Amino acid sequence: MSALILHAQAAAAVFRRDLAIFTSYRMRLVTTVVATLVTLTIFYYVSRLVRSEAIGSPDAYYAFAVIGILSLSVLSAALSRPVATLRSEQLAGTFERMVVSPFGAVRCVISLLLFPLALAFVTATVSLFFAVVLFGLRLRWPEALAGIPVALLGALAFAPLGLLMTAAVIVFKQTNAGATFVLTACTLLAGVYFPVSLLPAGVRWASEVQPLTPSVDLLRNILVGTPLDDAVPVALLKLVLFPAVMFPVAICALRAAVRHGRRRGTITEY
Amino acid sequence: MEGGYDTVVVATEPAPRRAGAPALLELRGIVKRWPKAPAPVLDAVDFLVRRGEVVAISGRNGAGKTTLLRVAAGLLAADAGTVRIAGLDPERHRAACQARIGYLAAGNSGLYGRLRVEQHLQFWARLALMPRWRRDEAIAAACETFALDELRGSRVDRLSMGQRQRVRLALALLHGPDLALLDEPRTSLDDEGTEILRRAVRRLTVRGGSVVVCAPTAEDAGIPFDRCELIAGGTMVGA
Repeated sequence: MSALILHAQAAAAVFRRDLAIFTSYRMRLVTTVVATLVTLTIFYYVSRLVRSEAIGSPDAYYAFAVIGILSLSVLSAALSRPVATLRSEQLAGTFERMVVSPFGAVRCVISLLLFPLALAFVTATVSLFFAVVLFGLRLRWPEALAGIPVALLGALAFAPLGLLMTAAVIVFKQTNAGATFVLTACTLLAGVYFPVSLLPAGVRWASEVQPLTPSVDLLRNILVGTPLDDAVPVALLKLVLFPAVMFPVAICALRAAVRHGRRRGTITEY
Repeated sequence: MEGGYDTVVVATEPAPRRAGAPALLELRGIVKRWPKAPAPVLDAVDFLVRRGEVVAISGRNGAGKTTLLRVAAGLLAADAGTVRIAGLDPERHRAACQARIGYLAAGNSGLYGRLRVEQHLQFWARLALMPRWRRDEAIAAACETFALDELRGSRVDRLSMGQRQRVRLALALLHGPDLALLDEPRTSLDDEGTEILRRAVRRLTVRGGSVVVCAPTAEDAGIPFDRCELIAGGTMVGA
């Protein structure tokens, strides 16, 4: 059997392990979905107050905010969940076992992204469905399928940020503040709750150098028809370039973190 | 494949032991120093384990037993010196070396409380990059060796400490390593568990494998050994 298949099976095993642990807590899926639904409900009522030339009608703002919130939930899954899982591995002593496994620490950590991203996709899809059914969100159904590859590309673009956070966990152990800072910065700069055009011109450039902006802009355009600032190919190119550049950087950082931990002896610490 | 599971070794008679047998683990001039520590925890340690050998390492708490085992396992990188596993440099042939090593950390860590024993075995067998045919066979053998058949469906957080230790041992030796590095393997084991451990060690050495076992005293090792090395002040001070 080729090494590639064995590696894929090992990555799938990490996914299945995370799924098994997640489902062993029966209320976890329910609370995850309910929390998102409550957020969507809050924003529905907030949107009733919005009368803005930049956005349009309350319904248009609701559609704008829903796609932003769901995209943010995928980014949050990529940033926070692998970090939390890796911390659990360190505390449980299972990370040690991963380091000495033939699959290796770096591949194990990369595999930690699979389940959180898949779960975030499922939760976002269910939430989108509820926003349509309960609050009358108008999806552009004919184009909706095109949203899937764009969302996947977006998730792929978020993944290197998650890997950088896990590299930081291996070195510094506690990185909650870092993940929160990155998430908050992305939320501000990507225009999750408001159009980027409202940002001061001096900081608007920063919205172009992180993956949430092109991802959320494209998804809004495809799913609810919000106009794009860039042409579609340009927005797509940004979304492709980010992981193309950042994945090698993140993997190098992860390797360096493991090497550092093995050299300093901190890899077994928690 | 680098992982080294292409063939199954069926042992029929004890492998050659002691002098003359090829080295399975070779540590030369190993130095390991903790940041800001006044003295190295391992200071130019030489340690050699031949095929078929069972070696106990004893020493006081903090003497460097666990650190030595971790360096041998590839968990820690030495500041100086060389490590060879069956002649291979683990820094250059990581997966191949890890496939040859079974490592049991001290204590009772390394388990997922919410997963069943069977799920642990399946998970770690896949992370050991074992092909499917080898996996099923290895899991069945591990369950038989460590008396886990009745516990396969049990969640780990519902097992006794001794049962958990048997699971940990099974996971360490699941992929059929040539070299078992066991840090205080008797932890929480009762007499029956200790006998199971001895049987597992015998099986490993019969097929040419080697075992290094760490314990505060030679008596605590819990398994018969060919020689015992004493470590003190970061150096091997003899048998």
